[in-house]
Amino acid sequence: MRRSLKFTSIGASVLLLALAGCSSSGGGATDSASGGSAGTGTGADCKISQPVNVAAVFSLTGAAGQYGTGQKNAIELAVDNLNKVGGVTYKLNVQDDKTDPKQGIQLFEQFVGDDTSVIVGPTLSNTAMQTDPIAQEGKIPVLGVSNTAEGVTALGDYVYRDSLTEGAVIPQTIKAAVKAHNLKKVVLMYSNDDAFTTSGFDAMKAALEKDGVKIVDTKTFSKADTDFHTVLDAVKNDKPDAIVVSALLDAAVPLVTQAREIGLDVPIVGGNGFNSPAFIKGAGDAAEGVIVGAAWNSASDNAQNQKFLSDYQAKYNAGPDQFAAQSYAGMQIIDNAVRLGCSGEREAIKKNLAKVKNLPTVLGDFSFDENRDAVQEALVQVVKGQKFTILK
Amino acid sequence: MYQSEALITFLALSAILAYSFYAVLLAGQLSLAQLGIASLAAFTSTLVVPDEPLFGVIPQLVIGIVFGVVVGMIVAFVLGLPLIRLRGVFLAIATLAFAEMVRIFLINQSWTHGAQGMSFPKLVTPAIAVVSLAVVAFAFWRLAGSRLGRAFEAIREDELAATSMGINVARYRMASFVIAGAISGLYGVLLAYFSRFADPNEFSFTAAVDGLVSAVVGGITLFVGPILGGTFMTVLPPLERTLGIDASWVPPLISAVLLLAVILFLPGGLAGLIPRRKSRSVLVSDPAALPTLQPLPPRGTSLVKVRDFGKSYGGVRAVDSVNLDVAAGEVLGLIGPNGAGKTTLVNMVTGLTASSSGTGTVMDVALGSHTKAHRLALAGVARTFQQIKLFPRLSVLDNVLVGAYRVSQDTVWRRLIFLPSARRDERQSVAMASAQLDRVGLAAKAGDEARNLSYGDQRRLEIARALASHPSLLVLDEPAAGMNRVEAERLSVLIRSLAADGIGILVIEHNVRMMLETCDRIMVLNFGEVIAQGAPSEIARDPAVLEAYLGAATEAKGAAAAERAIEDLSESAQEAELAHDTPEAEQ
Amino acid sequence: MQQLTDGIFLGSIYALFAVGYTLVFGVLDRLNLAHAAVFSAGALVGIDVVTSTGISVWLAVPIVMVVGAVLGLIIERVAFRPLEGRPDAHFAGLISSIALGAVFIALLQGRYGPDTSRFPPDAFPKTRFPFLGAEVSLLQVLILAISIGLMVVLTWLVAKSKLGRGMRAIAENAHAAAVLGINVNRVSAVTFAISSALGAAAGVLFTLNVNTAQLGIGHAVELKGLAVIIVGGLGSLPGAVIGGIGLGLAEVFAVNYVGTSWRDMVAFGLLFLVLVVRPQGLFGARKAREV
Repeated sequence: MRRSLKFTSIGASVLLLALAGCSSSGGGATDSASGGSAGTGTGADCKISQPVNVAAVFSLTGAAGQYGTGQKNAIELAVDNLNKVGGVTYKLNVQDDKTDPKQGIQLFEQFVGDDTSVIVGPTLSNTAMQTDPIAQEGKIPVLGVSNTAEGVTALGDYVYRDSLTEGAVIPQTIKAAVKAHNLKKVVLMYSNDDAFTTSGFDAMKAALEKDGVKIVDTKTFSKADTDFHTVLDAVKNDKPDAIVVSALLDAAVPLVTQAREIGLDVPIVGGNGFNSPAFIKGAGDAAEGVIVGAAWNSASDNAQNQKFLSDYQAKYNAGPDQFAAQSYAGMQIIDNAVRLGCSGEREAIKKNLAKVKNLPTVLGDFSFDENRDAVQEALVQVVKGQKFTILK
Repeated sequence: MYQSEALITFLALSAILAYSFYAVLLAGQLSLAQLGIASLAAFTSTLVVPDEPLFGVIPQLVIGIVFGVVVGMIVAFVLGLPLIRLRGVFLAIATLAFAEMVRIFLINQSWTHGAQGMSFPKLVTPAIAVVSLAVVAFAFWRLAGSRLGRAFEAIREDELAATSMGINVARYRMASFVIAGAISGLYGVLLAYFSRFADPNEFSFTAAVDGLVSAVVGGITLFVGPILGGTFMTVLPPLERTLGIDASWVPPLISAVLLLAVILFLPGGLAGLIPRRKSRSVLVSDPAALPTLQPLPPRGTSLVKVRDFGKSYGGVRAVDSVNLDVAAGEVLGLIGPNGAGKTTLVNMVTGLTASSSGTGTVMDVALGSHTKAHRLALAGVARTFQQIKLFPRLSVLDNVLVGAYRVSQDTVWRRLIFLPSARRDERQSVAMASAQLDRVGLAAKAGDEARNLSYGDQRRLEIARALASHPSLLVLDEPAAGMNRVEAERLSVLIRSLAADGIGILVIEHNVRMMLETCDRIMVLNFGEVIAQGAPSEIARDPAVLEAYLGAATEAKGAAAAERAIEDLSESAQEAELAHDTPEAEQ
Repeated sequence: MQQLTDGIFLGSIYALFAVGYTLVFGVLDRLNLAHAAVFSAGALVGIDVVTSTGISVWLAVPIVMVVGAVLGLIIERVAFRPLEGRPDAHFAGLISSIALGAVFIALLQGRYGPDTSRFPPDAFPKTRFPFLGAEVSLLQVLILAISIGLMVVLTWLVAKSKLGRGMRAIAENAHAAAVLGINVNRVSAVTFAISSALGAAAGVLFTLNVNTAQLGIGHAVELKGLAVIIVGGLGSLPGAVIGGIGLGLAEVFAVNYVGTSWRDMVAFGLLFLVLVVRPQGLFGARKAREV
């Protein structure tokens, strides 16, 4: 028995050593204190000799895989474009958190320990709630590009995000929809097992109540659901003036198409999750007339956006969604902060992110407020002729 | 080391989760309730864990862990009450349904903020996680050599055999369920208070599958298995990342292929790679180490008294109004053609089957519809089975040690604190088992796995296992099947010597010659009825017995056995008529 | 009335998934957890075939079924056959089929990416017509008819055909079946092939009905499919169909009278209750066996 105890303890220590070994080889920490180096000049003239290391944590596989993949595509495109400008080069390291917060936590820890200057991500708000405190403690700036839940930026002064919260987007969407269709009573639908859509629902409910619209019924579903015939038949019986939906793309397409199939022809109002060309492609004719509140105007003719759309289409042979646009914008914002102080050091980036003001991005003119949340124009779109157009 | 903090913590946590599956798999059950229990423990702990250390001294995490473990045990117990009788995949699905119900419940509660999740203070450090794992692993290490640990393994290997060695299967299954619940609660609390935030979806079916996979990959036959499995699952993703593959679908593919390879090529999981130490199968032949045993009932004491016993299946009466008595020190043989109802009768006598009619007592326990086999076993009834029921993956010695269940004390609590008395007790059990192995001539094979023994050796091992319980009544169901003539004769000698010790023996056997030589009395069954009984010489001459076997010989099934019986019967009858001084001719 | 038909149609989809699932369990006593991945594969391959070649869905279904059958053969060969005779075959089979399912999903992601896709909107006529006061679509009626038809055909196959006799013999005792001269490996392989072909076809029909497909759709249906085959009785083909429709009706009931948030609670609560009260399932004849 004594021998087996000894065996176990030796085994355990060998194991821990092996782990310590493999994790530090993954990091390869050289310059972990500053995480980058300063350069000379400012703004467009800024020259930094060493590349600035940007790490991104997205969900490339698992349940959120399709959103994270678009984010990865967009940020790679952004880095390609920015590296062509000259003066500052970025070295991008995109990693997959497998839609599992445990992987996100380990990745953040790795980036705190290596020579990464700034972290982008993670894809999901609930993961951010677990990873961002690590960045805060490790004093490395993190920029969320799709986190919309309340409390993310409250985690600390190293945490920024360029994604508008639902609270910033939804009220004007609801207002515009109520005005356009003279809504009196609506049915609210949302997937209640997802943080993104639940916070969207909270914002919708508050906005509808504020605008004096009666919510005759609230229907929930699971984010894994795709068959809505039953729920929609129940909604049909409520005879609402419109359906207001907080859902991700996975649910948006089947929900809208099935509603039209069963003859539920009332207007449908959606949130950020609908703001994807895949929605129009997937829902086809059924998408016509759907009102979508959004943080990104895909039809915007600003030069940044047009370039983004055409580059993305050329490189990936598909249209970007809002998450991709926000990811691309994230890199533009980081570039701006780096050039403002002409430094790839963590502290400098953290400090200079706060100074980003009215920066032209694919999202439009962009600034951070004092809570490090995004300040930009939100807009209301309507699908017309298989295109998102601004609802006037 | 900062950067490996999470890696080490998650490794420990994933091993702890694997242990929560190991705890039930050890007893042969598959439960998927663990994640549901973990999330209940984690979320409800927020209701009791204070913001400050309690009374200024008790750290919040201690309160959280104790609370989580207690909640886990209570939930597992309450859940176990209706579910524990379910087996296999049915238990798995019912517990999965429970876990999903918990998830949906928590999502619909406002105090958990539903899918938006809850924040937790970060109280868990890697050291705490590793220490927690060490405690759990230590407990399972000490469990492994204890009577409780052997009982779990016995249930996993063969429930029926375990019952007939006196193990209360339902109680032990519940025990493993509650242990799993405690570990699940621990896991939930540690996870939440390390990652600072949790939402009910993190405790989903997918997470349960991860836990199950790490337990099985690690191996369920050695206590370090969960640690190996947890390590495999935790270290794989970072290792894959160092490969620097850009295509996001490749790492999951590598993981899946590796998992498949481990399952297909390492039957015992990763733990199967660790060579087993032979020292665990060292026998103790010191007679002074034997436990002090209760004396057997005095010769001639009635052990079995059964009246008008009957059993019908559908309309068919398998056993009809049978009276049966066995006294201490006598060998009663039960013979008859195939399908005569012999096994049904002994199954009723040993409590495995309830009778449809009649009354009886065995070792002063009344036989009724609720009599449990393990109760009879504890009262002193041991048996072997027609279809050999060993614990196939356990060593020969461990098989017999399970048999010693009745004559030993539980040692797990004392083993946890290394009390010398636990060691003494274990030594006594080993001595008891060694003596039986010696008696049946298997001492040299103590370290072999039972499934690797020859057929005859397996029969003998079953007898040794039964003897290790120090039975007053020994029931042998076709002990000589598959044995050659020499082996059968040795068995006959063994049976006689056991009877001489004062054990009452009830034996079913097709080898009529052997029965005639071994038994004090023989009872002949045909179509469920007793057609003859008496001393072997009377049975050999009874024309009704020969007729029964002649009838059976015309049927396809069992004809050969019946023909052999006829041969034996007629030979014996001739021999009985001849003078007794002619020694039996060797063929 | 609309609610009733909704429930029946919803249930017929569960049934479609469950029929193939339960076939393997009933015959081979193995729970094939790669079935969900085959379902996803059926949907994605079907979409690929229809969009890239422009052929009609009617032609795509047989192609998808062939793909499914091949996957079934791979599952049998890789995840189950090597485990034969091992004492832990039951547990190991669960894990190896999970692993192989993950292999399929990873390869599908490699081939098709993680994005949501669907059949072209005009791939199947969206005809709707009134039926006993409710409104139903042609596709829904078709799915129901196929579910019931499959149940009848498969029940006949198992009960009457030579292959079915082999299946039943193996279900009773694989060893004895081998002694009787039944080619156990071949019958197992064919059973897996049929089961997976049905699973893949179910993926196509499911996707047509809901207008969306992505990698995870199999997993979304998996738990419900498990619930259905348990409630219906493991290995019982009529049980799978009746269990599916029962679950569909229970969900519709929950949506309309209990609240949508509690829909899955009702479904899983029902499953839990059935197991406690009648562990062998509503139509299961055989006793619970060990995993």
